[in-house]
Amino acid sequence: MSILMRVVEWFTNPAHWTGPDGIPIRLLQHVLLSAESVLIGALIALPIGIVLGHYGRFGTAAMNISNVGRAIPSFALLALSFQIFGLGDAPIIISLTALAIPPMVTNSYVAMREVDPDIKEAARGMGYRELAQVLRVELPLAVPLVMGGIRTSAVQVVATATLAALIAGGGFGRYIIDGLAQFDYTKLVAGAILVALLALATEAGLAGVERLLIPRGLRLLSSPATKRVTFKAA
Amino acid sequence: MNWKSRSALLGCVVGLALMAAACGSSPSTASSSPKGTITVAGFKFSEGSVLAELYGQALQHAGYTVNFKLNLGSREVVAPAIKSSQIDLYIGYAATDLEYYNSAAGEANGDVTATTAKLNSHLQPLGLVALTPSAAQDQNGFAMTQANAQKYNATKLSDLAAIGGQLVLGAGPECPTRPFCQLGLQNTYGIHFKSFKALDTDGPLTRAALKNNDIQVGLVFTSDADLKSLGLVVLQDDKHLQNADNVVPIVRKSVANAEVTKILNSVSAGLTTDELVQLNSQVELQHQDADVATKAFLQQHNYFS
Amino acid sequence: MGGRVFLDYVDPWINWDWLSSHVALLTTSLLAHLQLTVIAVAIGLAISLPVGVVAQRERFLRGPVLTLFGIFYTIPSIALFALLIPYTGLSTLTAEIGLVGYAVLILTRNVIVGLDAVPRDVIDAADGMGYRPFARLIWVELPLALPTIFAGIRIATVTTIGLITITAVIGQDSLGQLILTGLTDNFHTPLVVGTVLSVVLAFVADLSLALSQRLAVPWARAA
Repeated sequence: MSILMRVVEWFTNPAHWTGPDGIPIRLLQHVLLSAESVLIGALIALPIGIVLGHYGRFGTAAMNISNVGRAIPSFALLALSFQIFGLGDAPIIISLTALAIPPMVTNSYVAMREVDPDIKEAARGMGYRELAQVLRVELPLAVPLVMGGIRTSAVQVVATATLAALIAGGGFGRYIIDGLAQFDYTKLVAGAILVALLALATEAGLAGVERLLIPRGLRLLSSPATKRVTFKAA
Repeated sequence: MNWKSRSALLGCVVGLALMAAACGSSPSTASSSPKGTITVAGFKFSEGSVLAELYGQALQHAGYTVNFKLNLGSREVVAPAIKSSQIDLYIGYAATDLEYYNSAAGEANGDVTATTAKLNSHLQPLGLVALTPSAAQDQNGFAMTQANAQKYNATKLSDLAAIGGQLVLGAGPECPTRPFCQLGLQNTYGIHFKSFKALDTDGPLTRAALKNNDIQVGLVFTSDADLKSLGLVVLQDDKHLQNADNVVPIVRKSVANAEVTKILNSVSAGLTTDELVQLNSQVELQHQDADVATKAFLQQHNYFS
Repeated sequence: MGGRVFLDYVDPWINWDWLSSHVALLTTSLLAHLQLTVIAVAIGLAISLPVGVVAQRERFLRGPVLTLFGIFYTIPSIALFALLIPYTGLSTLTAEIGLVGYAVLILTRNVIVGLDAVPRDVIDAADGMGYRPFARLIWVELPLALPTIFAGIRIATVTTIGLITITAVIGQDSLGQLILTGLTDNFHTPLVVGTVLSVVLAFVADLSLALSQRLAVPWARAA
C-alpha cells in the first residue's frame, strides 16, 4: 500500500481523533502554545516598535533586530530554554515569545515610519496631541504593516512550535518527532500535512484579519507587501 | 583559562574553520590492513557508543581495520543493517535481541546461557552468531523519585498494579509497543497507566519529567550512572519481566574467525556491570568521549599488552 | 542556573577543555554546514534566475507563481523534510531538496521584483538601440536588477544557514548536530558553541555578501 493510501487511512481512523494523542488535543496544544507566545510577544514588541517608529529613534536597532532574530537558530532557542528553565510549557512559550518579538518590532517600526509626514504635520496642525495623534491618525494608517509583522511572527511561531516536541512539547510536532523515532512514516507524513495546513491557515486567517482592519480609504493604495520584513526561522 | 587564552582559543577556532573551508575537507583513508576491515555499529544511546568502541578498539589493537558506525539507530535500523551485511558486528543485549529476532515470542528468561542459545538458533539461518555473553547486564528499569516511592509505598513493580490509574509513565516513543516496556508492564504486571508521555529513551527529558512530577514512573537503564545521585529508585522487577539482558556481541559468521571470536570473548569476559556503570559515568556525566574513556579502560585492563 | 552537580562534575555553559580537545569536531560540523549552504543557494540561484525571468515576462504567470511560492514558503521546514522522507530517506538529498526549495522561493521573488523595478524608459532606450530581448535581458535588465537579486541572495543565505540546524533532526551533520547533541546528552557546551558558531557564520556570510555586492554593483546601494 502506498504511503499516500496509508496516510488517508490514518486520517480516517477514528482512534486518531480521540484521546490525549488525538488530532483535536494536539491541535489545541499547538494553537495555544503559538497564540500565547504571539500575544505576549505582541504586548512587548508592538509598543516598542510603535513608539520608536513614531519618534524615529533607534531606527538602526529596530531594523537590525530582525536580522539578528533571523540568524539565531530557532531550534537552539528551544534547547537552551530547556536547559535553563527545565521541562514544561513555560520554557517553550518563553523561547517562542523571544522568536516572535523581532519581526513585530521591525515591522511596526517601519509601519510608523511609512506614515506620510505630511499627514502627521496636518494632524499636529489640527490640534491633535501626541497620544491622540498616534492612536487616531498614525496607527490606523500603520495597521497593514503592523498586521503583516504579526502575521510573520505567527507563522514562524507555529512552525517552531512544531520543534517543541523535541523538548517534550505537545502539538502536531509530536506526530513528526514520534513518527521519526518509531519509524512510523505514516504518522510522520500525517503530522507534516497537519502542520503545513495549520501554518497556511494561520497565514490566510491573519491576512483576512488584516484586510478587515485596514481603513477603507487605504485599500485603494498599493500593497505594502514588499515592504513587510519577513523571514523564515523554521 | 584566563580570558586572554580564551579569546585566543576562540580566534583560533574561527580562523581554523575559515582556513579549513578554503582547503576543503577530505576524509583520511587508512590503508586497509591485511587482516581486513570490520564495521562495528553502535545503538543510538551513549552506552551503545561505549560498547561499540570497547570491542572495536580491542579488534583495532589486534591489527584489524575497524569502521565505526556509532549512533546508527535503534534495533530497527541496526538489525537490518547486519542482516544485509552493511555492518559486521554490533553489541546487543541477549534477552532483548532474542525477543527481537523471534518476533516477541516470549522465549527469553533469566538464564543467560539458555537465552543466548535460543538467540543463536534464530541467528543461525541469518548467517549471524551471538558470542559468549558478558556478565555485564543492562536492563530496562522503571524508576520513581524517592518522594513518590514513599508516597505510593512502592518498592516493587507489582505494587503499582493497584494504583496504575493514578500514574503517568514516561519513556521514549517506542515504549508503548515494546514487550519489555509498557506492553510488558501491562501484560505481566497488570499495570494500566493513566497515560503515557513520549519523552526520550533514558535521557534528560525523562529525568526532568520525573523531577517535575510530570511523570511518576520513568524508563531508565539499570546501568545508568546517575540514578543514585538523582535520588531515583528503580522498582524491583519481582515478576521478572526483564530477563537476561547481558551484553553480547552479535557478529556475521563469515567475519567471526577464531582470532576475532577470541578477542571479542576476552573483552566480554573482563566486563562487569559495575565497570560498565563506571564507563557510563565517565561518558554521560563527565562528558568524556566514548573512545577516550574506553581506550583508558582497555589500557587499564591490559588488553593492549 | 549555571550548572548542575553530578558526582564532582559541574556543567559550565562553556567547557573550554572540551572545546580545545574537540576543534576537529567543530571544524567538521562547520564545514558540513557551509557545504550544505553553498549547494542550496547555488542551485537555488541557478533555478530561480530562469524561473523568475520567465514569470516576470509572462504577465499571466507572475501572479500564480508568486502566490504558489508564497504558499510553499509558509510550510514549516520540518514538515517539508518529513514529507520527503518516505521518498528520499533520511539523506542529504532530502535536506538539500528542502533547502533548495526555500532558497528558490526567496530568490525568485527578488528576481521578479528586481526586474519589475527596471525603469520603462531604460527598456525602451535599449530597444531603440537595437538590443534584442535576450541580449537586453543579459546586458541591461539583469545588471539593473542586481542589487535586488543580491539582497535576495543575502536573505536566502542567512535563512538557509538557520534552516540547516533543523536538518540535524533528520540526521544531517551540521552545527545543528552540535546543538542536538547538547540537548540529548544534557551537555551545555556543544549547545552553546553550536549556536554561537551558527550565528557567527550567518553574520560572516551576510557581511561577505554585502561586501561582494558593493564590489559587484558599485553604482547602487541596496538596503
